Amino acid sequence: MVTNKSERTFQWINSLFFALLSLSMIAPLIHLLAVSLSAPKYANAKLVVLWPKGFNLDVYETIFGLGALWRAMGVSIWITVIGTLLTLALCSSLSYAVSRRQMRGRIAVLQGILITFIFSAPLVPTYLVIRGLGMENTLWALIVPSALNAFYVLIMKTFFAGISGELFDSGKIDGCSEPRIYASIVMPLSKPVLATIALFHAVTQWNSYFQALLFIRSRELYPLQIILRNMVIEDEASAVVGNMETVQAATPEMMKAGVILFATVPILIVYPFLQRFFVKGAMLGSLKE
Amino acid sequence: MRNRLRSLSGKDSLMLWLIALPGVLYFLVFKYVPLLGNVIAFQDYSIFIGIWDSPWAGWKHFVFMFEYEEFMNILRNTLVLSFYTLFFGFPAPLLLALLLNELRQMLFKRTVQTLLYLPHFLSWIIVGGIFINLLAVDGLANRAVEALGGQPVEFVSDSRFFRSVVVLTSMWKEVGWGMIIYLAAIAGINPNLYEAAVMDGAGRWRQMVSITIPSIAPAIVTLLLLRIGNMLDTNVEQILVFLNPLVRDIGEVIDTYVYRVGLLNAQYSFTTAIGLFKSVIGLVLIVGLNHLSKRTTGQGLY
Repeated sequence: MVTNKSERTFQWINSLFFALLSLSMIAPLIHLLAVSLSAPKYANAKLVVLWPKGFNLDVYETIFGLGALWRAMGVSIWITVIGTLLTLALCSSLSYAVSRRQMRGRIAVLQGILITFIFSAPLVPTYLVIRGLGMENTLWALIVPSALNAFYVLIMKTFFAGISGELFDSGKIDGCSEPRIYASIVMPLSKPVLATIALFHAVTQWNSYFQALLFIRSRELYPLQIILRNMVIEDEASAVVGNMETVQAATPEMMKAGVILFATVPILIVYPFLQRFFVKGAMLGSLKE
Repeated sequence: MRNRLRSLSGKDSLMLWLIALPGVLYFLVFKYVPLLGNVIAFQDYSIFIGIWDSPWAGWKHFVFMFEYEEFMNILRNTLVLSFYTLFFGFPAPLLLALLLNELRQMLFKRTVQTLLYLPHFLSWIIVGGIFINLLAVDGLANRAVEALGGQPVEFVSDSRFFRSVVVLTSMWKEVGWGMIIYLAAIAGINPNLYEAAVMDGAGRWRQMVSITIPSIAPAIVTLLLLRIGNMLDTNVEQILVFLNPLVRDIGEVIDTYVYRVGLLNAQYSFTTAIGLFKSVIGLVLIVGLNHLSKRTTGQGLY
């Protein structure tokens, strides 16, 4: 009886703990939403916590009117879509080849790939190589150098190696060439692993900004994270918004809150669809961290 | 049939090499060429003269590095920050996974998981923006401090708080995601073990200590080894968000220094030497720890 009671107390405390922890994950976003939707006088007086006071949409009217933000979002979508396609193409072809015993010297290729796990490419020489290739100030600098890594290849190669050998043999007997087996037999069977890699890579590509910081000089090529950084972290909102007098209806804090949410919403929209790949993906991904 | 298949294998191999070619080229150009490019650490490299003609400098940059007080400060910053991140950040997802495993209501458990994973998908710019707002002098955190009768604190511009801010925000962002691997390992434990334990009268606590933790120990050791091996690596995207001139004395770490001095101020050779030093330490740590772990716990990374 006693254990039963202490068990129930533990359940209560544990549930309460997780409820509060979960709340701490979402509360900051709700706070920003409330600030961005409030009237400037309340936001200025710091009276807004989790519910807007003096509801108004001026912040979003201004944000939706900012050409620079929309263009940056277009750039981010472009690098995410093209970058992910490039990763899938490069990764699946290389992984397919090294998973096939018919490839001579595949062990050496595999070892060469695994070595890059331990000897990761150094920052400064990598920067010089990318510059030397003439990728500076092009969007290629954001997608090509980060397109592949040993970890992606390892995941895909392991998956391909698990496909039944009989399928390959029957393909061979039907006269399929290696490229044909790759395209018509292996790819259709590999949707789970392709989706996992695509999820990993798309999230990284959408969120990262360091490469853009290094290589992008022209404003019209800025991805969303760089514009966001300039506005929110470097406090150069006026440089992006233009004449601040036109946005008197909002305080800088409200603008920042609104812009942060503007950049978060695309993630929140796709988040539920990504969830089904989580556990499998993270299992495979545990090595990367 | 077998013979015919074998006679085709030369052609197959060639075809497979063609399929692999773009990926192989990628690794050569973006992973191996930069590794060879480490030689500029032993040169006085100039981007105008190029790697072939730049004069050799021997160990000059390495000697300078260790005589340079600022570098020693940065090395210390990196080690201290890494230690805190490891000390607080490593056990947190493990504890959380063990506790989450005790939740009995499935719907509640799933909702909690969904919310805990969410911050992992936000960029460091967004997370930084959120916390800089919350921790500002007139932000929500300081209003709580004032409500409790304290004076407002400059969390983001006082270097005393830099490490706490970095450790806490990285925990906020990644603790849920870090849990997944442990949850998966727990899910893989044979349920018969628990049934047998219950028969023997083992309670919740006993089950956790005697079954759950030993079963996931291999995962814990592997992750710990990898983390310690990367001691000198920091998350540049995170640090750059919170780094400002007011907190530079504590906040500057190797990676941000290489970025600022090497790439922004074009001191390529010196910062390549720093990068090389960092990789060598990382290599020694990984190999050494792996050896140690194999001798003591019988398992290692390779």
